[in-house]
Amino acid sequence: MTLLEVDQVTHRYDAGSPRPVLRNIELSVGADEVVALVGESGCGKTTLGKIVSGLVEPSNGTIRFEGADIASLRGKKRRSWRRSVQMVHQDPYSSLNPGLTIGTALGAGLLRHGLATRRTLDTELLAILRQVGLDATPDFLRRYPHQLSGGQRQRVAIARAISLQPELIVADEVTSMLDVSMRVAILDLLLKFRRERQLGFVFISHDFGVVRYFTQGGRILVMFYGVVVEQGPTEQVIGDPRHPYTYLLLKAIPVPDPDLAWERRDVEVAERLQGEPSLRGCIFSNRCPFAEERCRDHVPPLVDLGNGQQAACFFPDRVRSLDEPVTQGGPHDAPGVRTAADEDGDCATRSVRPGPASRHVQG
Amino acid sequence: MTAVGDGLDRPSNNGVAPPQGRAGVKLVEVDGLTVSFGEGSGSVRAVEDVSLSVYEGDIYALVGESGCGKSTLAYSLLDIVPPPGRISAGDVRVRGQSLKSLPRKELRRLLGAEIAIVFQAAMNAFNPVITIGEQVEHILKAHPEVFPDRQEGRAYFEHLLELVSLPPERIWDSFESQLSGGMKQRVAIAVTLLLKPSVLVLDEPTTALDVLNQRLVIDILRDLHETLGITILFVTHDLAVVAELATRVAVMYAGRLVEAGTVREIFKSERRHPYVEALINAIPSILDRGLTVHPIGGQVPNLAELPVGCRFAPRCPHAQEICRRIEPPLLADDEDHLVACHVVNHQLEVPAR
Repeated sequence: MTLLEVDQVTHRYDAGSPRPVLRNIELSVGADEVVALVGESGCGKTTLGKIVSGLVEPSNGTIRFEGADIASLRGKKRRSWRRSVQMVHQDPYSSLNPGLTIGTALGAGLLRHGLATRRTLDTELLAILRQVGLDATPDFLRRYPHQLSGGQRQRVAIARAISLQPELIVADEVTSMLDVSMRVAILDLLLKFRRERQLGFVFISHDFGVVRYFTQGGRILVMFYGVVVEQGPTEQVIGDPRHPYTYLLLKAIPVPDPDLAWERRDVEVAERLQGEPSLRGCIFSNRCPFAEERCRDHVPPLVDLGNGQQAACFFPDRVRSLDEPVTQGGPHDAPGVRTAADEDGDCATRSVRPGPASRHVQG
Repeated sequence: MTAVGDGLDRPSNNGVAPPQGRAGVKLVEVDGLTVSFGEGSGSVRAVEDVSLSVYEGDIYALVGESGCGKSTLAYSLLDIVPPPGRISAGDVRVRGQSLKSLPRKELRRLLGAEIAIVFQAAMNAFNPVITIGEQVEHILKAHPEVFPDRQEGRAYFEHLLELVSLPPERIWDSFESQLSGGMKQRVAIAVTLLLKPSVLVLDEPTTALDVLNQRLVIDILRDLHETLGITILFVTHDLAVVAELATRVAVMYAGRLVEAGTVREIFKSERRHPYVEALINAIPSILDRGLTVHPIGGQVPNLAELPVGCRFAPRCPHAQEICRRIEPPLLADDEDHLVACHVVNHQLEVPAR
């Protein structure tokens, strides 16, 4: 069953700007499905998250939750939708009211939606604290956010979302403000709820590593300046990216292995990823290593590539010719210079990277 | 560029082969440093008995979780530990000169010429009501010793902006509010380099940046290291950034150094501190092995209630009885790779037969 449908959503914060924040976004999330929104800062992923949570009203387009247009919901139905879609924000330091105790912050929603009464509230709250791996004591409920660590705060934020028994959770960069050592624990906690309660997830992140871990068996939407440039099953998109932007983003990610980091080194990636999006033709054509006349004049539609993967690129096969899979590394058979002689012959520059032959790994 | 002892034998730009071992100019020496907050029985030691040396040409990473003391250690290199924190034991030497022994004025001059820091909240480092250019003018005016001719200083700043991949003419007349977070971070790096320090210290330079800006900062720092020959010390919790950038690494846990060595020793050696091992195995990454990560159980200890023995023992899967009694010493192997772990160092302590 489709839980959430985003139908042709376009959004502008500033009506006069030439480029909308989101342009013709289509997205559907089934019950028990996880969809990740990936892209750099400013690509519109958080705005889309706020729109599906009902925090921002889109300029155009429709959001349907369980088949009903959320703009038309009134009264009890509206309240029920409000409860069913919960958001966990990026920054646990600003998402919790510093003047409210944890008990008050968590209790408000439960009382509002009739999930607890004054009499049962404390029992409910303690049960929720236990579920999110926090100290389930009355003392903890009396604490204030400043007395908690970042990881504890994020658990409180998750508790607040989970306690309302939602069907869809919008998780916006939930681990980016946390120590690396704590990220997995928070992701595992969300995964536990995903498993136990068959929740739908819209998981927003700029970090493909975190996305790969969290959305196993799910889907990824790669966004670039308000446009979906690629989407498909997680492993498909990460293992076999078909849009050059996805490929470059994957290449840009630091990896925790000095040998692989050295092999993957490619100064062109950062250069390619800079610069304004194009107002004409393909939005990525200013940065794309493959851009041709056609790309500058026409907007490539999202095209089906089989296996549920789609890319908005006129030349979705070219990325494949670029390199080895980005998720592995290991020794290359053919190191050194790659040429642009294949394909149509008029591709822009390719990356030139030192191969393993030019270095000597000790030990 | 000198002394890139990272064990990777990376080809350097100017063709100078990295020298073997730890030869070269010792720029910063931390010797038995303890930084305390508070007095008497209520005091906690944010940094405890830490020794390390940064050589010219190093890209040195100081790694650990929140509250492990890594930022405090970095601040003590510039004598800017925020009160009530104070250096209660040990010393920091910069180019051989002890910070303790120097009169205030000379200390300022030494540090001003040698070390500069980019703070974590670099986005908030600028005055919002005057342009970046005016702020640079202020710095040049206050330090005529570096650029007697201010035009020359301005030209150098513009050169630095190019090195950090920013358009000079646009930045000079900008207010900070006109720049993105990633751009501000890079302007802050350029401003920090203006007075030509020998050592650039950066506190969490990639935290809170998106993937693109992280990649830019990594590439830029590597580039600055090569083109300006600058020595870099950066504080981070992100081991992926360490693997990409650092040549040498020191890992801290609850105020103490638990492991130090070349970046390859930290990531690849058989002999590794269980904490470092756990940290590396806790990083979700795009690598296939990133799918089988494990969180580190338990919590970082409260510095006011430290466990007896090894501070990591309560969370350590390999902890033995001795770990809960005696604090493990930091022991080096032949390559000067330091590890503070009873279990890992057991073989070192056994006399050769």
